[in-house]
Amino acid sequence: MSTVHTMISGTESQSVGEAMTYREALFQTMREALRQHPNVIIMGQGVDDHKGIFGSTRGLAQEFGSERVFDTPLAEDGMTGIAIGAALNGLYPIQTHMRVDFALLAMNQIINLAAKYKYMFGGRFEVPMLIRMVIGRSWGQGAQHSQSLQALFAHIPGLTVIMPANPQSVLECYPYAISKYRSPVISIEHRLLYDLKFRVDQASTEAKGPPWTSRKVRSGRGVTIVATSIMVLEALRAAEHLARAGGIDCEVIDLNCVSHPDKAVILESVEKTGKLLVADTSWQAYGVCAEVCRIMCEHAPSALKAPVVTVGMQPAPCPTAKTLEDLFYPSLEALTDDIAKLVTGENNHGIPLPDEHSFADVYKRFKGPF
Amino acid sequence: MDFPNLYEELFYKALRIRLVEERIIELYPSDKIQSPVHLSIGQEAVAVGACQSLKPTDLLFCSYRSHAFYLAKGGNLREMFAELYGKVTGCCEGKGGSMHLAAPEVGLMGASAMVASTIPHAVGAALAAKRLKKDDQVIVAVFGDGATDEGAYHESLNFAALHKLPVIFLFENNGFAVHSRIVSRHAFQTLEHVRSYGIPVSHLSDGHDFMKVHEVFSGIVTDVRQTRSPHLIEIQTYRYREHVGVNEDYDAGYRSREELEGWKAKDPLILDQELVAKYRPAILEEIHGAVEFAETSPWPDKEHLLTDVI
Repeated sequence: MSTVHTMISGTESQSVGEAMTYREALFQTMREALRQHPNVIIMGQGVDDHKGIFGSTRGLAQEFGSERVFDTPLAEDGMTGIAIGAALNGLYPIQTHMRVDFALLAMNQIINLAAKYKYMFGGRFEVPMLIRMVIGRSWGQGAQHSQSLQALFAHIPGLTVIMPANPQSVLECYPYAISKYRSPVISIEHRLLYDLKFRVDQASTEAKGPPWTSRKVRSGRGVTIVATSIMVLEALRAAEHLARAGGIDCEVIDLNCVSHPDKAVILESVEKTGKLLVADTSWQAYGVCAEVCRIMCEHAPSALKAPVVTVGMQPAPCPTAKTLEDLFYPSLEALTDDIAKLVTGENNHGIPLPDEHSFADVYKRFKGPF
Repeated sequence: MDFPNLYEELFYKALRIRLVEERIIELYPSDKIQSPVHLSIGQEAVAVGACQSLKPTDLLFCSYRSHAFYLAKGGNLREMFAELYGKVTGCCEGKGGSMHLAAPEVGLMGASAMVASTIPHAVGAALAAKRLKKDDQVIVAVFGDGATDEGAYHESLNFAALHKLPVIFLFENNGFAVHSRIVSRHAFQTLEHVRSYGIPVSHLSDGHDFMKVHEVFSGIVTDVRQTRSPHLIEIQTYRYREHVGVNEDYDAGYRSREELEGWKAKDPLILDQELVAKYRPAILEEIHGAVEFAETSPWPDKEHLLTDVI
């Protein structure tokens, strides 16, 4: 995994910046939060153990003390309530869930309390906190260690839901959430991004305004691809292949903020390209794919010169057998084929598909740590 | 207001809550209060006795049955009626209603309609008090017996004990989770279970007696303020009216009127008519002013609909 993904959020610059893994960006933001803000605590199952949330909190309990970085009982609902109460009395809690699926046990506190506390009490309270959740994929994660539940959270007014697709987004969003934002933020990270290296521009991480923006990460005129999390990488790989192999010119938008998608960025792009493909890490129905389609239908249906195409997981729980798992997730090959079909309007477009069966080749090498 | 002694002060505070809720009962058929109400009539002494020894900087988290604690903690009466009316001058700008009162200026940190959901908030606030060295602050979680069924309650006890946090669990046991009794829901002994966490436990069966509540609770407050570790107290009390709404429900079959009469027979707000006569007029005047304030206040409008969401 030595490839450096030359993506700089918000720009298309290929200028050389520091190379950094997603994990390193997470670790840096966690450490800086503790260093700069005495009221920050990090709490979650395993935050202080030798694995430290896949390396993103490793060593921080030793450096900052067990009062500020502490393991929690396996009590997701109660611990989320405790985080809310801590936030109400002056702390900034960062709570971690090693799988998004585990956060389902905390839905009462997240949806009925954290999301409501400000509005329900007429603006008299604020609940500033960050909840990090990690999507698992491959090596038999199965039905309960693999879900991408961004739509569940983004559906609820009062929550800000982000899916950083690269270290740049982490470096911009996390410090802003922790030091400048006063509402609960849910960040959904992808486990398979952790080991990947990206170019980052540390100098431009000082956000001017809220970094909950969608970002154009590749310019093109042939088709607009709106993607989330690891599907941004997939889309960029497909786009590069299609540029080489078929002369197709893709524009790729990293949605980045799922709860508050940047409508203007999407609409402006589709006005230009006339074609839209949405690639999400989750199921299409009632999710990001559906929401981006809603935005198009409500604001600029006439901009579309072809029906929208959506790409996501198959509508089933995630299977563990490798043969089924490979079919369950969208492959690079299928994604590339979908884009080519949409742009050419031909099922038999004749454009060669990528040699590698899919980006899942990267996933196939993944055998933990989990 | 000056009182000749503590008894009269607590009596006045309890009577004020009762008269407020009796006014709510009178108003309710007019449909001016357009939200469910969970009355505390019968339970006033618990709130009054407990809050007497709390400072405004001490934080209290409670449930949907919170009129009594809101007032006992010092919440503004006019803002409470305005909130019940759904007016913009309400304590939550008309967005909370009866079940979601709040008065952070006096430490009333919000009432939730999800059973047991604010217990972990109290524990979290106690964690913050400890970490941020608010060494004089005590946090109180108020909940009923229904909450003791919930996972969040158990999770909260465990964490508070594990981290030795300055939180008082005030278990206000009115005998019913809606209509069901604890014996039909618990396979465990409630207080024994609390002790198993190493949390000291107190029990008071005289929930009608605000002096006794005050005496026992103030001792706990002093202790927790000093030791910075948790304590649980169960106070038995009785809800005179139906679970939700303003009526009686003794014909429903789940409880008897004799049970009510047993509690009424020791209720100081019924027995001491001399003191009722002494304080009632002034309280009614205050309530009249508060209702007037609610009646004449403006409604929240379109500009309020989407504010304070994020």
